[in-house]
Amino acid sequence: MPSLKLPIVGSPGEQPAPPRTQWRSLEERERGFEPTGEFPPGASEIGGTSRREFVQLLGASMAFAGAAGCLKQPSEQILPYTRQPEEIVPGRPLHYATASTLGGRATGLLITAFEGRATKVEGNPEHPSSLGATGLFEQASILQLYDPNRAAVLQEKNRPRSWREFLAAQNDRANALRAKDGGAGLRFLLEPGSSPLIGELRARIQRLFPNARFRSYSAVSEDAALQGARLAFGGAVETRFDLSKARVIACLEADPLYPWPGSIPAMRAWADKREPGSGMNRLYAVECALSVTGMNADHRLRIRPSQLAPVALALAAKLGAGGGALAPFAALGAKARLEPRQQRFVDALARDLSRAGRQGVVMAGPRSPALVHALAHAINSSLSSEAVRHQKPLLHDAETGAEGLRELAAEIRSGAVDTLVVTAANPVHTAPYELNLAKALDAVPNAIYRGLYQDETSQRCAWFVPATHPLEEWGDARAHDGTVTFLQPLVQPLFNGITEAQVLAAFLGEGDKSPYSLLREHWRSARADAEDAWEKWISDGFIQGTASAAESPQLRVDAIAAAAQAARLDAAAPGLELNVVPDYRLYDGRFANNVWLQETPDPVTKLTWDNAALLSPKTARELGVQTHDAVDLGLNGPPVHAAVLVVPGHADGAVTVSLGYGRSGGEQNAGGVGFDVAPLRRAGAPWGDRGLTVTKLGRRHRLAITQEHWSMEGRDPALDMDLHEYEGHGRERIEEGRVPVATMHTPWDYSKVAYKWGMAIDLARCTGCSACMVACQSENNVPVVGKTNVENSREMHWLRLDRYFSGSEEEPRATTQPMLCVHCETAPCEYVCPVNATVHSDEGLNEMVYNRCIGTRYCSNNCPYKVRRFNYFNYTYDVADVEKLRMNPDVTVRSRGVMEKCTYCVQRIERARIDSRVQERPIAEKELQTACQQACPAHAIVFGNLHDRAHEVTRKHADERHYFVLNDLGTRPRTAYLARVRNPNPELT
Amino acid sequence: MKRLVLAEFAEPEPMVEAARKLRDSGREGLDAYSPYPVHGIDDALKLPRSKVPLVALIAGLSGAAGGYVLQWWTNAVDYELNVANRPPHAWPTNIPVTFESGVLLCALTLFFGSLFYFFGLPRTYHPVFEAEEFRSASLDKFWISAEMKDGEDPRDLERTLLELGARRVTHVEGEE
Amino acid sequence: MAVSAATRLEARRALEPLPLLEGVQDDGTINKTLLDYVWRKPGKGWLLLVGLGLAGTGLLTLAVVVTVAKGIGMWGNNIPVAWAFGIINFVWWIGIGHAGTLISAILLLFQQKWRTSINRFAEAMTLFAVLQAALFPVLHTGRPWFAIYWLFPYPSTNRIWPQFKSPLMWDVFAVSTYFITSLLFWYLGLIPDLAALRDSSTSRWMRRIYGILSFGWRGSARHWHHYKIAYLLLAGLATPLVLSVHTIVSYDFAVSVVPGWHETIFPPYFVAGAVFSGFAMVMTLMVPARRFLRLKHVVTARHLEAMCKIMLATSLIVGYGYLLEHFLSWYSGNPYDFYQYANRRGILYGPFKSAAQDPYIPIFWLMVFCNVVVPSIFWSKWGRTNVYVMWIAAIFINIGMWCERFVIVVISLHRDYLPSNWALYKPTWVDLSLLFGTICFFSLLFLLFLKFLPAVAVQEVKELRHELQQAHERHEIPDFSQELVHVTELEAGEEDKR
Repeated sequence: MPSLKLPIVGSPGEQPAPPRTQWRSLEERERGFEPTGEFPPGASEIGGTSRREFVQLLGASMAFAGAAGCLKQPSEQILPYTRQPEEIVPGRPLHYATASTLGGRATGLLITAFEGRATKVEGNPEHPSSLGATGLFEQASILQLYDPNRAAVLQEKNRPRSWREFLAAQNDRANALRAKDGGAGLRFLLEPGSSPLIGELRARIQRLFPNARFRSYSAVSEDAALQGARLAFGGAVETRFDLSKARVIACLEADPLYPWPGSIPAMRAWADKREPGSGMNRLYAVECALSVTGMNADHRLRIRPSQLAPVALALAAKLGAGGGALAPFAALGAKARLEPRQQRFVDALARDLSRAGRQGVVMAGPRSPALVHALAHAINSSLSSEAVRHQKPLLHDAETGAEGLRELAAEIRSGAVDTLVVTAANPVHTAPYELNLAKALDAVPNAIYRGLYQDETSQRCAWFVPATHPLEEWGDARAHDGTVTFLQPLVQPLFNGITEAQVLAAFLGEGDKSPYSLLREHWRSARADAEDAWEKWISDGFIQGTASAAESPQLRVDAIAAAAQAARLDAAAPGLELNVVPDYRLYDGRFANNVWLQETPDPVTKLTWDNAALLSPKTARELGVQTHDAVDLGLNGPPVHAAVLVVPGHADGAVTVSLGYGRSGGEQNAGGVGFDVAPLRRAGAPWGDRGLTVTKLGRRHRLAITQEHWSMEGRDPALDMDLHEYEGHGRERIEEGRVPVATMHTPWDYSKVAYKWGMAIDLARCTGCSACMVACQSENNVPVVGKTNVENSREMHWLRLDRYFSGSEEEPRATTQPMLCVHCETAPCEYVCPVNATVHSDEGLNEMVYNRCIGTRYCSNNCPYKVRRFNYFNYTYDVADVEKLRMNPDVTVRSRGVMEKCTYCVQRIERARIDSRVQERPIAEKELQTACQQACPAHAIVFGNLHDRAHEVTRKHADERHYFVLNDLGTRPRTAYLARVRNPNPELT
Repeated sequence: MKRLVLAEFAEPEPMVEAARKLRDSGREGLDAYSPYPVHGIDDALKLPRSKVPLVALIAGLSGAAGGYVLQWWTNAVDYELNVANRPPHAWPTNIPVTFESGVLLCALTLFFGSLFYFFGLPRTYHPVFEAEEFRSASLDKFWISAEMKDGEDPRDLERTLLELGARRVTHVEGEE
Repeated sequence: MAVSAATRLEARRALEPLPLLEGVQDDGTINKTLLDYVWRKPGKGWLLLVGLGLAGTGLLTLAVVVTVAKGIGMWGNNIPVAWAFGIINFVWWIGIGHAGTLISAILLLFQQKWRTSINRFAEAMTLFAVLQAALFPVLHTGRPWFAIYWLFPYPSTNRIWPQFKSPLMWDVFAVSTYFITSLLFWYLGLIPDLAALRDSSTSRWMRRIYGILSFGWRGSARHWHHYKIAYLLLAGLATPLVLSVHTIVSYDFAVSVVPGWHETIFPPYFVAGAVFSGFAMVMTLMVPARRFLRLKHVVTARHLEAMCKIMLATSLIVGYGYLLEHFLSWYSGNPYDFYQYANRRGILYGPFKSAAQDPYIPIFWLMVFCNVVVPSIFWSKWGRTNVYVMWIAAIFINIGMWCERFVIVVISLHRDYLPSNWALYKPTWVDLSLLFGTICFFSLLFLLFLKFLPAVAVQEVKELRHELQQAHERHEIPDFSQELVHVTELEAGEEDKR
């Protein structure tokens, strides 16, 4: 082949390439760039790397051309993440620190941007709420940014209006209100927030309109926790947990092992103490539906929601029996009236906690009743637990629940409300049915709704203002520990979005100010050092040392005891109980249009594209229903059509449903998916109630479940054993999983090459949260196939989470296992391919050559792990142009009829290789992470060079817990799994 | 220009006899025609041993060799890849294709070789077709054709053939 | 009936109990019966059947177009069941395509006289079956437009060659070789008969057409001289070939690691199965054909009985194959194999109690019934001589052999190593149209063959008749007139049953 002379690649002889695609940061660009050492050796020959780089440059420049067409760079200077420790370059080419907020708490992010085109979300390693990891919601937010369904037009009664017209209209009206009665007719219903900027704006508005009223609302509110704190300490206190200090953890309907906002540090801390040995922590879960935390618990007590308070009380009583701070509860133990099995559990837990002392902690979840929170506080302080941190509430409005809505609705009915500004996420859909918020809003003369989509709420409001996506706006917020975090835009709003701050500023006559200047001015006035530190803050993404101070409130044991005394705890209640939970994928429905999340299987039930009425097998038998049966759920409201899904380990006599489905808004992907649970919720009891009726409809509603088969069938792909077994014969059992298998042919010699890539997945750390699945989907342009194709098991996820149940269907042991291509050295898929479309690289990667593949699917048949995915249709055919901006230009978008699978993120390997060759040094461990590894909050996945002893992956491949799945087939995988070891309480086994 | 005398027989045996007698009387340019292969006609006409088997053998062997070399060269020499850690040149996996390509070349040679070379077909014209009666040669009658020397009178030969048991005789002429 | 017990007794005592040719025949009558129907006007029944065949072929075309235009997703395939109807049909048709060459080649080598009357028929069936089979390997790929030529070792600019360790490559060579060789073998046998048609034709045009088709064959002794040996050699070649083809097809499965595929007994067991299904199909077509084309005098009860015996023998081999598979799955102690076969049988015990009963179990037992139970009817002379019994049995066997491929392909795949990705397979309308469509297309080709070409190798029958006559003159076999008796008997017998 003749050696091409391509200006873009350049060669020693000729002019260097135009700097456009080469600079690593804005400063470097200012300085101008030096061609020396810019290119890997031998860039001009067409061979190996230089050709790859050529393609990369080509792809990048095309992406640039494409992006330039439809993106406007922000006019203000935004700053890349420059102050980074040596070598930590999670990907390429540019990373900007920003954040996403959920539930009022910010998670620091790094956004990968190709020439201003954001393509990938990573965690900010230095941010306290992220530690470099991300959850599903953060990972999937990039898709929402480019969602073609997003609202783009500011409207008044469905007539397009400009922002100026909006400002004019509101200005006059606001002035009138102020003049009339100090803005008594002005109401705000905001998304729960902790932003200092918003805080200041609110304060100023309040000064301008003394009688105006602010409220926050979220379907996932923490009012119960707040009331619990009030009861326990007599004041609003927020509690967070540092599990690195905990050895015995009791979760009362708490779910810290799923990456909800702010719980990533908890996951990391918990996982760090799961190595078998004396330092190992022990996790107890008390819950109704099997949760991610429940799947990972060493002991799990399934109870109906109404039994939670009795259990907590019994626990306190047991701990108080020996006197001490909890003595007042000792007498109340009888009041709990627990069943024997529950009592045994509680006794063992109590003993374990008191043994653990300062290292014990009880966590109550946002859905637990106030009393449970109070009791938890009491127990923790009696243990003087080191894992507990108290701090001032972060949110502007402590109450964010439905009670506030009830008041608001009442005010509206009384005609007191003239102007209502709604920035809360779609309250009409999530509000309890009995409030009939939709009708109430109709009555408001001047209702303004700011939202990402034309949803249920927008249909009820006179004004609709399109919202900015977090990646489009200048803003700030506080992390779960109070650290001030900044949001900087990657792009100018794609859909003319308006920030919340702008909407509020409109009522101060400052609506024409840009979000940037609003933020900048706030901080200029808020902090003296703003001028000098600003650039550092923005490029770091947060302000060091702004975490909230720890509080030490006084516990009021007697008050709690009195409350417990007064509480009606009839444990044995007749009838079914309803248990409402926020959805693992759609949260409260705000992500309903996000197809990545819709198609990510629920971590526990493996359900996609639906929510369902979860039942225990026993209850299902009693009701004569089974999975896929359509039923009516009734609870003091109109009945709800739901589909039954029977789940092992669910509490008997209760039905669990999740929020966020049954949408009827303008989002095309969300419509007709699942059922809306609002008719079942009451403002007084948002998380469930008694007296639920289930009536069988005789119809069937097919649920798309990615893993129908629960049992391991006596094979053990995912090793999961108790500590005592591990210390007994367990080790040999694991050993069987790694003994070399006799082979006919001499193993390939990898000692010559510098890198021998390998992966290790620690099942003891994996909680099954599925963040890695979404990260992989985002990094590798993995298509979405839709419900019908998932039903036919054609989902395309390169990385899936297998979930097995063992033991009884009442008390199952759930084991999760991330399963992706294990890159066998003697890969069965390779020798059956007739066209050499899948072969081995010299560094041991099992490579897939898309454009050589003719799609015989023989490789998939011969893959014992079934990790290969086939494009049965052209799944990327109808991707909207704006969505295409999201695609990772380093990864081919696969066409119809082609097989695909995990590549160990080969594009990242090659990127790192180019960098290292430029600097003539080997690839360092930290600069190369696979997408799944980088996202994993529990740090369960490690990847690296098996030749390098220093690499963590090499150590894990030597760990005595490591084994290879289906080792006896002699496939010699490069991915090792570390057996999961549990730490049960000897008293309970 | 070729002149042939054609004689039709009802049964194969007399035809073979006639052919043998003519051959013994030293007549050249004899040929026999029958709906199906007739026993004994070969040595009656003293036909040499057929070369078909030899050709087939050569073709088969070269086909097989070609098949093997193809696999070895493409997978082990020209573009060597690590496929599932198998040796690039793994002879057991080459057996099927080697065998098949041998058979393929052999079959093609047998068919087209005999057709074009040994049968001298395809041809749409032959002097014998000048005689309409000759149609029965492929149906149920048995024919002998004898070439006439220049200036020889066909009637003498026709007489001899009738004596040898031919049911009817005729003579044709045309380009070979 | 005017038949004396004595004559019948004599016939029974005779060396060859049932005649190869019935009635008093000479070349003239053979021509009349075997060639002249080509010149007759097509009957209503034939036209009707051709119409149906055309309709089905239309459906096939539609299914193919849909598949190529929209993708394999139009089929029911998924992961783990990435192969289903496509491969099942492929193996089924290839299997059917075995009897023809087997009959004409092996029986020729073994000098089995009874082959002559049915070999042409069987060879044609082979060709048309292999034609159907050849449709699927290309169609089932995700990108057929590349598959068509990337599978062949042509020097391309990126210098990537086919991967010859893959059984699919072996398939490509085996199937194409098999098709070409069968075609040549069939045509070589056809040439003298085409000449005969040319010479017995009534119209100028027919004469021209068949003249060209016969390459100007004139039955010269010199031609016959080479012809005999060439034909024999082709037969000698086809014999190992026919065995190799299904052996290689079985490698597609045996070479893999899938439990239920990774079986060392597959090659012999596949070949036996192929012959089994092939003869079943010949029988299915022959029984009606010999009636409507009035071929009873050349395709006699003797031929049918011989085929029944072969089906019985092969069914025993196949049954033994099933038995051995299941025995080995237990004896090998391989848990995955053990589960695979226990699951097929639907008898789950030991650690597998928890597994859900497999919905495909009935298909396994239907297969056992069709391929093992039904053919055992051929143990009885009655079963071997009653055309209705053997015809229905043959149809059952066709179904059974399709089920066998379903069991092997789908049931093995849908529950392999990791239970997490077990899933069911459901065919779509496209899958079903492809199966039904190929059957129609096959029948269409066959009907055209029956109309326009001699369904029986005329020249060979003439040769045979001549030999028989001589043998009779040497008093080696009973007089033709007695065999005539048999015909009437048989006829009568069939009349009674009707």
